[in-house]
Amino acid sequence: MLLQAVINGLLFGAVYSTIGIGFSLVWGVMNIINVAHGSFIMIGAYLSFTLYAAYGVDPFLSIPIVMAVLFGVAYVIQKFVLNRVVRGSVFITLTFTFGLQILIANVCLLIWSADYRSIKLPYSSAGIQIGQVVLPAVRLGIFAVALVLTGLFYLFIRRTKTGVAINATALNFEGAKTVGIDVFNIYAITFGVSAALAGAAGALIAPIMSINPFLGGPLVGKAFVIAILGGLGSTIGALVGGMVLGLVETVGTLFIPSSYQELLGFSVLVLVLVFRPQGLLGKRFYE
Amino acid sequence: MKAKWIVLAVLFVLFVAAPFLLTGFWVRLITFTFMFAVLASALNIIAGFTGYAAFGNMVFFGLGAYTTAVLMNKVGLPFPVALAASAGIAVVMSILLGLLLLRLKGHYFALGTLGAAEAMKYIVENMTSVTNGGRGITVPSMRGSPFMHNTIFYFIMFGLLILIIVVVWQLSRNRLGYAFKAIRANEEAAGVLGIDQTRYKITAWALSALFTGITGAVYAYWFSYIDPPTVFDVMWVVKMFVIILIGGAGTVFGPVIGAFILETISELVWSRFINLHLGILGLIIMLVVLFMPRGIISVVTQGKGLRDLLQGRRRPSSPAAGPPSSSNGGQS
Repeated sequence: MLLQAVINGLLFGAVYSTIGIGFSLVWGVMNIINVAHGSFIMIGAYLSFTLYAAYGVDPFLSIPIVMAVLFGVAYVIQKFVLNRVVRGSVFITLTFTFGLQILIANVCLLIWSADYRSIKLPYSSAGIQIGQVVLPAVRLGIFAVALVLTGLFYLFIRRTKTGVAINATALNFEGAKTVGIDVFNIYAITFGVSAALAGAAGALIAPIMSINPFLGGPLVGKAFVIAILGGLGSTIGALVGGMVLGLVETVGTLFIPSSYQELLGFSVLVLVLVFRPQGLLGKRFYE
Repeated sequence: MKAKWIVLAVLFVLFVAAPFLLTGFWVRLITFTFMFAVLASALNIIAGFTGYAAFGNMVFFGLGAYTTAVLMNKVGLPFPVALAASAGIAVVMSILLGLLLLRLKGHYFALGTLGAAEAMKYIVENMTSVTNGGRGITVPSMRGSPFMHNTIFYFIMFGLLILIIVVVWQLSRNRLGYAFKAIRANEEAAGVLGIDQTRYKITAWALSALFTGITGAVYAYWFSYIDPPTVFDVMWVVKMFVIILIGGAGTVFGPVIGAFILETISELVWSRFINLHLGILGLIIMLVVLFMPRGIISVVTQGKGLRDLLQGRRRPSSPAAGPPSSSNGGQS
């Protein structure tokens, strides 16, 4: 029972990591708390659902398509709209992304209605049994893809020229501008990458969770917790933060009544903020 | 200056006469607008004047509403006593939270207050024996005709609004208010000048909490039913921020004007496009942020928009300016 909970927690924790990385990337680089991050996840889930329901595309195969679409959408939003206010204050950017979140949720409501949607895969019951523990094939696949995406992101941010430019812009906006980096384009790419990861996370949860237009809010709450736990500016931090959240949620259900779980989550969030605002593993820049 | 007083006097007379001339629907709508004007003005004290984005300010509204509801429903106390208790609890909570959270800056403070509001919502939801939990709680409603009911709450909210306008007007010209603005402009410099930042920040938040808590108490009695998701709803704070942005931050009348503009727009949109209502609200929020960062009032006076105010804090050359990582430390 406990071992199964631990395994389930770690398997799903990888998806949380993917969510957390994108969220803390935007926060770390542009100082924007993107409340609409959950909406990007939701769009990803709906796109994956539509591709499956209408064209029979397997959710795992639709991930690259979903990522490309979300990168494009977010790139355009940042480039032509958000960049106008990105250097403004907390009030401005936070309020703006709230507006964006409401708008996206209601557009999704119009397109997909308020019905709960879900994807039932033909191989959803397949799995590997080891002793008492079951490893469902779908969840293993989700775990693997999430880890691969995290690894790819790590390489992108550390090894590519664009990744280095993102770091440079995060560390010193004026300095980056001085050495010839197109900082606002870098911002747009950053937002795009963040949304692409969110979209991938959406496509990953589509086969195991039901999708509705109000999914975004609760998911943003989780993204907060992961980012704060892991600290800004650390891929490894977000990975650990996601795993911790996954474990707390699954193992926690065995010991704590579910009504107290949310309370626990937010209390931990406030305490970490107060006593260790840089997070458990946070650094001053991305790595 | 004289013209301003004449305008205010005419408006006062009009608003006093309104409940006797308009239908119940409009009276309730204006009461609602008054309520948002009070809440936005209260948020303006901590956010507009002092520069701290208290995104979790609904914690005081919810606490005020629940204190009144529980005291009236379970203990049977009269409304004025419950109202006073609500005010007291909101202030005490703001001091406790302030000691904990006002050390944080920027996003970290905003998030900390959000976390506190959410945590409080779940505490209220789980204290089932006292609060009836997630089912919500009823408040003994006022006796009398619907007309009486509407008119009385109209004047209570109107009175609250006048009170907070006077308080904020005083703040705009007295020492306390200047200390708040000094903290907003440059906290370190304010400290060097001998302003006890912690004390003033907590004072600002406590003032904000006082009015927010009282408004919550009135709301509970007015609606005679409350539940945790409504009275702790973060969306209300977002609406307050939009109101402040429309009107002009750090000004006396900005939030009041903003409330009337936003409520008018909402009402027009609501009655015509009922399905799209929220989506359009989201769009309005985005457009206001993009095109009206200075607020309407800057057209009339030289009140400053939030964007100007906060850009003053992050000069490009100083290390605190770099967007993200360099300015993120809550504790340096």
